Amino acid sequence: MISNDLLKGTLRTIVLKLLADNGRMYGYEITKKVEELSTGKIRLTFGALYPVLHKLEADGHITTETEYIGRRVRKYYSLTEVGRSGAQQKLDEFFDFVNTLTYVLKPSPA
Amino acid sequence: MIGATIDDNLERIRSDLAGRGLTCQRLLDDVLDHVCCMVEEKMHAGEDFESSYGAVLDSIGENRLPELQHQTLLNLDKKFQRMKNFTYIFGLSSALVTLLGAFFKRMHWPGAGILLTVGIVLIVLVFLPLYFVTNYREQAEKKNPVYPVVGYLTLALLLAGALFKIMHWPGAGSMVLLGTGFLIVGFVPLYVVNAFRRAGKQKVALPYVVMLLVGIAIITLFANVNMSKTSLELYREEAVQNEASVQQVRERTAALLELAGDSVTADRQGSIARIHEQARSLQVRIEAMQDEMISLVGEPGAFIGDVQAIDNRRAGDQVISKDGAGREFDLEANIFREMLEEMIDDPVVRGQIGDHLEFTGKIWKIEYGAGHVLNEPLVKNYYKLSDAAKGIALAEYVAIRNLLGN
Repeated sequence: MISNDLLKGTLRTIVLKLLADNGRMYGYEITKKVEELSTGKIRLTFGALYPVLHKLEADGHITTETEYIGRRVRKYYSLTEVGRSGAQQKLDEFFDFVNTLTYVLKPSPA
Repeated sequence: MIGATIDDNLERIRSDLAGRGLTCQRLLDDVLDHVCCMVEEKMHAGEDFESSYGAVLDSIGENRLPELQHQTLLNLDKKFQRMKNFTYIFGLSSALVTLLGAFFKRMHWPGAGILLTVGIVLIVLVFLPLYFVTNYREQAEKKNPVYPVVGYLTLALLLAGALFKIMHWPGAGSMVLLGTGFLIVGFVPLYVVNAFRRAGKQKVALPYVVMLLVGIAIITLFANVNMSKTSLELYREEAVQNEASVQQVRERTAALLELAGDSVTADRQGSIARIHEQARSLQVRIEAMQDEMISLVGEPGAFIGDVQAIDNRRAGDQVISKDGAGREFDLEANIFREMLEEMIDDPVVRGQIGDHLEFTGKIWKIEYGAGHVLNEPLVKNYYKLSDAAKGIALAEYVAIRNLLGN
């Protein structure tokens, strides 16, 4: 399991990247996809996911469309144009960060 | 078939979620679908609706939904986010100003007092209230305003007390005392209780730990007092130490003058002689006031040790205030300081002199002025005067050393 602390700053990036790859997704689908991609190491709870989704929506990065599944409403999230460039930028930032961190933390040759 | 079972119970699930604190419609749709998906997954594995739904509800728990809603709404609240950012930036910059002030003070550079005052006033009046308010608003449930209020009072009093102490403003002692009281009676017990309650559930809030350490550090700073002795004894000991220091410093000054000989210009020699003379005259005034106070309560020629036990609060009032000796001394000490400031160009040395002679002017009026000496025990006034004598000797030494070019 990956701790929530490590995950906190990257949740936005994860959500944006997933939506960039998969087009539109609903909340439960996102948590399942993250679990699948991380081979079960990352379990997003809805308590962590929905605040981020709503924030991204309010900032204009993603947009929603609703569909009826039986009698209940399902909200699909997808990237806007702003979100698409934001996703790329976030990803670049993230890989830059990981590279730097790897460089800093790599074991020194004994 | 399975979908039908969930749809049959849709209203029940909706009202269950609402009953657990999820009242915001846009979130309710999300979570309703999410919960239904979780239930469906279990039902696909062969469980019936009731046991699946029961397990999902258990996994959600009681507090997660209000927390989720609170967090989402705060995330969307632009004003709150701006306030939070502002708080962090503000806290950082006022802490830096304070730190800079402490550094200036340490180096005896001018401006230390202003920096410290601005830094601490901003921390106490702007940063801390903002911090506690945002922190409080971020909590979803079990809000207890006692915690931030006690935390604020403790920190504000300790910080303000430290500032007042450094600036020699009146009231420092009672502020630190009150702050310490809040820390011991309020903050620490509350903190321990809270830490136990949250144990395992959430990590302990780091800012509170930092604040606790700051509080303890400030107290240690002011608590270097031997509690087993009465304060009267302490004042006498301090006074005796001060007198020994005066003696030492004078010897060093004399040695300086001897070493220098005729190596300086006649002009400088004149200045040095004036400083020396003035310092001596001030010290004579101090000794006269001290002797006068003692002779009011003891035998003529008695030593401060002989009368230390006598808590005569009228002696200081009589000698320093009523007889006007304090006022005359203050006038002359001010002239001495102005003279040194005129003679010395180096700002660092001027800063040192200012520190040594800070009892002149405002400080004298506050700590020694009429109404204050009235309520102080004899030995405390004696000690204060010895402290002034030490400051004069040190200022003299520093000034002469500078003029001799050392």
